[in-house]
Amino acid sequence: MIVAIVASTGAMVIGVTLAHIAGYFGGWIDSLITRLVDLWMSFPPVVLSLILMLGLGVGVSNVILAIILVDWTRFCRVVRSDVLVVRQRDYISAAHLLGFGHFRTLTREVLPSVMPLIITMMTLEMGIAIVVEAILSFVGMSVEADVSAWGVMVADARQYMYQSAWGLIFPVLAITITVLGFNLLGDGLRRTLDPRLRQQRHTAA
Amino acid sequence: MSLIEAKDITLSAQIGTVSVDVLRRITFSLEKGETLGLVGESGAGKSMIGRLFSQLLPPGFAVSSGTLTFDGLDLINLPAAKRRQLLGKRIAFVPQEPMTALNPVLSIGSQFNEHLQRLGVRGASRRRELAIQNLADVHLPEPKSLLGKYPHQLSGGMCQRVLIAMAFAGDPAFVVADEPTTALDVMTQARIMALIAEMQQLHGTAMVLITHDLRLAAHVCDNILVMYAGDVVERGEAANLLADPRHPYTRSLKRANPTLSGKRMLLPTLPDQMPGLIEFANLAGCRFSSRCPVNADDCRGGDPTMLKIDNGNEVLCVPACASGARDTIQVEAPPAPTASGTEAPLIELKNVSRRFVSRGKWFAGGSSVDAVRNVSLSIHQGEFVGIVGESGSGKTTVARMITGLDQPTEGQILVRGTDSTVQSAEARHERLETLQMIFQDPQSALNPRRMVESLLAQAMEADHRNHSKAERAARVSELLSEIGMPPDSRRRFPSQLSGGQRQRINIGRALCVAPKVLVADEIVSGLDVSVQAQILNLLLRLRAELDISLLLISHDLSVVRYICSRVLVMHQGVVVESGPTEKIFADPQHNYTRTLLAAVPPDDASAPWPPKYEAVEAA
Repeated sequence: MIVAIVASTGAMVIGVTLAHIAGYFGGWIDSLITRLVDLWMSFPPVVLSLILMLGLGVGVSNVILAIILVDWTRFCRVVRSDVLVVRQRDYISAAHLLGFGHFRTLTREVLPSVMPLIITMMTLEMGIAIVVEAILSFVGMSVEADVSAWGVMVADARQYMYQSAWGLIFPVLAITITVLGFNLLGDGLRRTLDPRLRQQRHTAA
Repeated sequence: MSLIEAKDITLSAQIGTVSVDVLRRITFSLEKGETLGLVGESGAGKSMIGRLFSQLLPPGFAVSSGTLTFDGLDLINLPAAKRRQLLGKRIAFVPQEPMTALNPVLSIGSQFNEHLQRLGVRGASRRRELAIQNLADVHLPEPKSLLGKYPHQLSGGMCQRVLIAMAFAGDPAFVVADEPTTALDVMTQARIMALIAEMQQLHGTAMVLITHDLRLAAHVCDNILVMYAGDVVERGEAANLLADPRHPYTRSLKRANPTLSGKRMLLPTLPDQMPGLIEFANLAGCRFSSRCPVNADDCRGGDPTMLKIDNGNEVLCVPACASGARDTIQVEAPPAPTASGTEAPLIELKNVSRRFVSRGKWFAGGSSVDAVRNVSLSIHQGEFVGIVGESGSGKTTVARMITGLDQPTEGQILVRGTDSTVQSAEARHERLETLQMIFQDPQSALNPRRMVESLLAQAMEADHRNHSKAERAARVSELLSEIGMPPDSRRRFPSQLSGGQRQRINIGRALCVAPKVLVADEIVSGLDVSVQAQILNLLLRLRAELDISLLLISHDLSVVRYICSRVLVMHQGVVVESGPTEKIFADPQHNYTRTLLAAVPPDDASAPWPPKYEAVEAA
């Protein structure tokens, strides 16, 4: 749980910040960041996180770090394209004319506009973080063997899966339900927080 | 028997638990080769009539009574397969948004080919020949090379011509044109209307023209139906209807549109706006009565009936109104605002040019376009100045340079004497204090995630003098009353406002810092005429109360004539003529100005318009 929240928040912060800088200012800084993302994404994510784990050593905090370092690119790429769209809107020009500086424009105008996207990605990312953590703990690279984690449980139960399948099925079910729950939460949040969608529902009702 | 016959059509919609009559008792007929105009503002139901022909009605909408026949065929109960055979071949459509009606990822050639295939033309080479022939018919240059092009490489006017060519390719008996020129500027509008008239004559086609422009309809159509909130409120022969309208709504529609000649009359404005679909259910009796300037005792009870009156028109109103009595009196407008003082100009452009350079491939040189060449202009305190020209003439670039969103490549822009082209904190500060811009599209210019109060006070956020909450709230109340919005609108989001209200908020936000000059880029072009009249009168009121100046950029000459005392005519980046508005419009010196003026449908319905196709094209 902690892994999911901290890891996805971390990935979000790095990804979104870079995405805003890239999308908003454009030019050379944009190409630099985009190239970096491309390069980063060309590594297979699971392999990359395994390599990172080897380098960083075992432990929960390192799992979090590994997830952040692998997954920030996902945020960066998607959010950047949304920022590019928002930047073209007249209200960004309007904000400049009202005396808003770049930082204020970014935080007050651009960020709220891409927020629904960020929320959706964030909840997806939490689901992914849980799965990745489970994978890493399954191969014994996350927590110590005596701490209970779904990945560890799956690993333990695997040895006895022909004798008692439930030991395997329950942790897997737990993982599935949690990931699904996060996704549904994201959908709901996006719907409540977006004034445009809220408006539509009111008129429909 | 007529080609099209509509009898007592009532279209009902189920909205939630309420059933609403979206169209009521619509009756009309159309002969071969005739043109019928459907005129009204957005929400009047005119597009719904257009949709009746294709039966592409929104979910929950259904015809509850009445008949619609095309050449003897019952269009409402026709099986879908049979209808598909009619649509495109015998009944064709010219859509409102040419840019979105064409598929952006397919070339013109392949879209045309597909269309002809549907029409049943055999053989690829035959289809290609026919496509080239059809494109040449609509006066598109080099139709052969056009086939390989994609919609984004063409202008809006060219896309519309392609669509017209497609619509007429099947030699249809009947065409529905839904606001075919609304998205285009006056020159292109004149060209397109001339073209449609020519094609109609060539093919002997009957047409229904849906438009919000009464003057345009009066020149192009034989008969006109004026619609309001799902009712036909007046019908009659086109020229007669424009010359002598009798229904109070038709009258206000005609008068809300500023004229290009004669005395400048104050635009009368109707309160509020067209009611929404949901409100239809609560409007008993005459649906217009709550906004009607006459609204006498005898028109409140019961449903009004269609009356045949002495001038040949039919009016949905009480006899007293229809006979022409009880007209509201029109007042002459005060002269357009001129400079209120003799001080130095607030804004001065000295020989300003803007060149856009597109970088070529590595070793090939780039090309450059002069968007604006050598433009000089000045705006004094309290003065309303207009810039007119068709799209692509560089009007918007001038506005962007003045506001500092773009930099000129040559020349000087002085804002209260400070050179604004120099990048300095002082210049930026001077600019922020002096001028504000009102954007064209309020939908895009208002952040959808801010509420009205936050939008209006947005400028105070940026200010370094930390304003308190109470201070902001007070300013918001002030601004709301200045722009004529109800106080309870402050906690709404832009999506909960109508187009006219959004434009008011847009103006209010620009007024927040009490600027000296407003730069307005096509701010009324997307609005209905009655809302446009409200906004124009609002600007004049603001001039009287706050002594602001305005630079209005518009392609609508009559709007410029109504509020600007001085005008500049731009063509291909150059100012071809400038001077006092009245003088230029009455006695244009430059050839281009003359063509531009001729492109506007004249106030007098008997004057010939649109001009012959060759005459417009020559300019």
